[in-house]
Amino acid sequence: MGGLQKKKYERGSATNYITRNKARKKLQLSLADFRRLCILKGIYPHEPKHKKKVNKGSTAPRTFYLFKDIRFLLHEPIVRKFREYKVFVRKLRKAYGKAEWTGVERLRDNKPGYKLDHIIKERYPTFIDALRDIDDALSMCFLFSTFARTGKCHVQTITLCRRLTVEWMNYVVTSRSLRKVFLSIKGIYYQAEVLGQLITWLVPYQFAHDHPTDVDYRVMATFTEMYTTLFGFINFRLYQTLNLVYPPKPVLDGTLSVEMFSCAQQKLSALSASLARVVATAEEEENQLDLFPTEGEDQENMQAREKEQKEQEAQKRLFEGLKFFLNREVPRESLAFILRCFGAEVSWDKSLCIGGTYEVTDETITHQIVDRPDMDKQYINRYYIQPQWVFDSVNAQMRLPVEDYFLGTTLPPHLSPFVEEKDGDYVPPEKLKLMALQRGEKPVQEDDEEEEEEDDEEEEEEDEEEDDVDDEELTEEKNLKKMEGTRAQGKTLAVKVTPGKVKPWETGSVGNKVRLEQEEKAEEKRLAIMMMKKKEKYLYDKIMFGKKRTTREVSLTIGVKNGESPKGDKYS
Amino acid sequence: MAAVKRLKRVAAAQPGFMSFKSSAGSDDLNSGQRKRVNKNKKKNWNKHSDIQDVEEFLDDVRLQERATGGLISEKPDDSLFFVDIGEQRKYVQPEVQEGKKGKKSKSRPLRIDLILQHDSLVPPPKDILAHQQPNAKKLRRIAENAEKLAAMGVLPRRQKRLLNRRPAITASKSKTTANNFPDRPYYDLWGGDAKETADPYYLEQTGKKRVKRPEKLNSKPSVLPAVEVIAPGGSYNPDFFSHQALLLEAHEVEVKRERAELRIERQLAVNREDTATEETVFQELVEGLVEEEEDEDEEEEAVSIRGGLQQEKKTEKERRRERADKIKSQQKQAARVFTDKKQQLFQLRSIQATLKRGEQQTRERVAQRKANQEAEKSMPRRLGRLRFQAQDLEVQLSDEIPGSLRTLKPEGSVLKDRFKSMQKRNMIEPRERAKFKRRHKVKYVEKRAFREIT
Repeated sequence: MGGLQKKKYERGSATNYITRNKARKKLQLSLADFRRLCILKGIYPHEPKHKKKVNKGSTAPRTFYLFKDIRFLLHEPIVRKFREYKVFVRKLRKAYGKAEWTGVERLRDNKPGYKLDHIIKERYPTFIDALRDIDDALSMCFLFSTFARTGKCHVQTITLCRRLTVEWMNYVVTSRSLRKVFLSIKGIYYQAEVLGQLITWLVPYQFAHDHPTDVDYRVMATFTEMYTTLFGFINFRLYQTLNLVYPPKPVLDGTLSVEMFSCAQQKLSALSASLARVVATAEEEENQLDLFPTEGEDQENMQAREKEQKEQEAQKRLFEGLKFFLNREVPRESLAFILRCFGAEVSWDKSLCIGGTYEVTDETITHQIVDRPDMDKQYINRYYIQPQWVFDSVNAQMRLPVEDYFLGTTLPPHLSPFVEEKDGDYVPPEKLKLMALQRGEKPVQEDDEEEEEEDDEEEEEEDEEEDDVDDEELTEEKNLKKMEGTRAQGKTLAVKVTPGKVKPWETGSVGNKVRLEQEEKAEEKRLAIMMMKKKEKYLYDKIMFGKKRTTREVSLTIGVKNGESPKGDKYS
Repeated sequence: MAAVKRLKRVAAAQPGFMSFKSSAGSDDLNSGQRKRVNKNKKKNWNKHSDIQDVEEFLDDVRLQERATGGLISEKPDDSLFFVDIGEQRKYVQPEVQEGKKGKKSKSRPLRIDLILQHDSLVPPPKDILAHQQPNAKKLRRIAENAEKLAAMGVLPRRQKRLLNRRPAITASKSKTTANNFPDRPYYDLWGGDAKETADPYYLEQTGKKRVKRPEKLNSKPSVLPAVEVIAPGGSYNPDFFSHQALLLEAHEVEVKRERAELRIERQLAVNREDTATEETVFQELVEGLVEEEEDEDEEEEAVSIRGGLQQEKKTEKERRRERADKIKSQQKQAARVFTDKKQQLFQLRSIQATLKRGEQQTRERVAQRKANQEAEKSMPRRLGRLRFQAQDLEVQLSDEIPGSLRTLKPEGSVLKDRFKSMQKRNMIEPRERAKFKRRHKVKYVEKRAFREIT
């Protein structure tokens, strides 16, 4: 009995949440300012579990924030700046209205501004935290840097975004950290590995913009404001790790004049110049892992790691020593970026962009990238290839044979490097071919007409190779099952002794040994299956059936494909 | 007076003194009647003594000094006289002068400046203090003392205070550059931590210490990656099967949308039976005119029957029997429970089985709930009035696929993709553009000029 009366909605979840409007009033900000503040501080709305309780009995859909978050916002110094800005705008409007031009000038001189540095530091206490979250910033900055100056967003923002993205690309080129590229219909996806973090970003194609109307540009601009600040600080740090000068400067030869220095920024964006270092070193020192004598598993791990590292090093030097020339119809920036990332020398026509280092007529050019059906004048000592070769080679981590990518040929499909097939999934035949190439097998080169058949054969071979072991297991299991089935059905077993055959591979001593081993293994497996409980056996059968079905389906689809499109025109 | 007179006399007596002005009235001074006055009063001395001549003389001396820089009498003759050898020929160059006229007039000083010019030849008096210093001795002593202290390493108080003063924050005074300024400088944000030198309590109380950000805020609102890579069918030159898979996906989305539309259409469709036919219209018109006999009597009967029921009182015997029945049934129930319990001993196996089944069920449910929660983490939440609407899948039909990179026509908008991605990751709530609502009607007035034409 007794005690105070418990009132509804005065405790529990009702007090943990606050509606957007209330939060706005508490902070004394306009809705736009509140939105901006939330974006800058990284405070997002929440969906409460029990909406009715939180909403004091009403079921109207509302935006809720956590009350503690809003209380945290109250301490933010930027809030005061927002209010100051509001007052500034009011004063300015008044001065305009009264046509007090000196007053307007004075007010403009004292326009209140704010800094986001402390917010970045607060949101990302360490550098790695920031680096993990850079995907968004990268995509956004690349997007904004391609905007036309149409007044949809501030011109200064566009320029800043452009500067930052150029800095980033230069960093990736210098550190050679690009891993994957994917040309999609939406834009170009890149993936780089920076300080152990995989970073993916999306770059729109140039001149591909129509401004959608259902996008809130103010929100996007606010995000960009935050991301440019973050991005700049990250760039600074990254440049520091490589001992590069920030803001970046291209290495200038003694012969270059003062004029060239003035257009350093443009040269940077051309991506053809290497960057100046703080301490000029002749060659980048290769970090060698210290070797310690270890035993057993450790050693194996170590070897594996070493091998991996070596592979990566090799990948980084994929195009080293090659000399490319870009024709004017290919996307210059992305190609120059990728080629430079893997150590190639790139140039282009002088009229196309600043920064081209040699002419078309240069005899030492090894590859010319062309995207037109025919060329009038061709040099004998260079390959004329389509741009897809570069992208595919990067994804395959090896220089692909150039024959498929020659001028005017139908290109093989451009596969996504971001897909990782599980076993049983459909693997495109082109990928299988590629995997074979990576393993070091060489497809037999024949005439073009026979190539299709060749391909098919190869695929089959691949399949056989892959499924070799599986098949054997499968057949054995089939036999076993048959045996068991017969045992269960009839009491009298039809036992027969058949004369053994001497198989050709059993004659060789090595083959014999291998065969013996395999037989032993199979025997063990058979025994294990026999020893299974009924329940487990049932499960095992089910699993095996599932496996078999997937392989069957895969083979079926491949067969269908081969049957349907024998002549290579895929989309009939 | 006597001194003045004497001076005059001295000056006049000097041989060769020449006065600037003609001293015509010098004789008049002594002439005329002398007035008798008492000379024992100082007032009278001042009043009746005549110092005109002395003053004139002194004025003259000053004038000479001013004008010529000394007494004329002391000047050599060469500077006073010259030999007149007739009028000198003027050097005339009319053409050049005409050309120079403008220049000359420009270079000539203004009259007002000329008036204000210092034209005295008497040099200004020398500043005596130029070479002297007031309080020199004291200052020297102080300096010596300071030197001695400096040698010992003791700083004067003023310097010490200067050093102790907090460095003036000049940055705040200077304009803060906008965040989108293209050449804005960056620095090492995560470099060495700035050490807090001041008292933490002081900082806390004065609101100078930043409030610590709650850890929870650093968790992301969704587990989805920032950049979701398009399916392999979205390649600009896709593999056939993956392209078909993507097409199928897009197709399914489209089918679903169409089905929803159809459903709404079906719901909106007018039922054939609901439309008015001639018959129904006629019926409606006639309604109420044709009288129909209703069976109201039946209702009345029913009411009367209900009211007619009577509650009869139970007898003592009945009550007793009821009680006995109740006790009996209770006993029966108890016996039943007892036997059931006894029987359960033999049902142990099946009970165990049911228990196990129940447990299994709960475990499965827990797993399911967990899985659901996991799945929900990557789902867009309901954050406001509107639900999240996924954007259309970017797809190129088989005949739209370009043969080469040059002929590629990009699909969709990256800007929209980014925007939707943020909505999907619960970073912003889905909104729609605010509609413009006109509060007052627009009044249409035909302009006169326009009216005249039509």
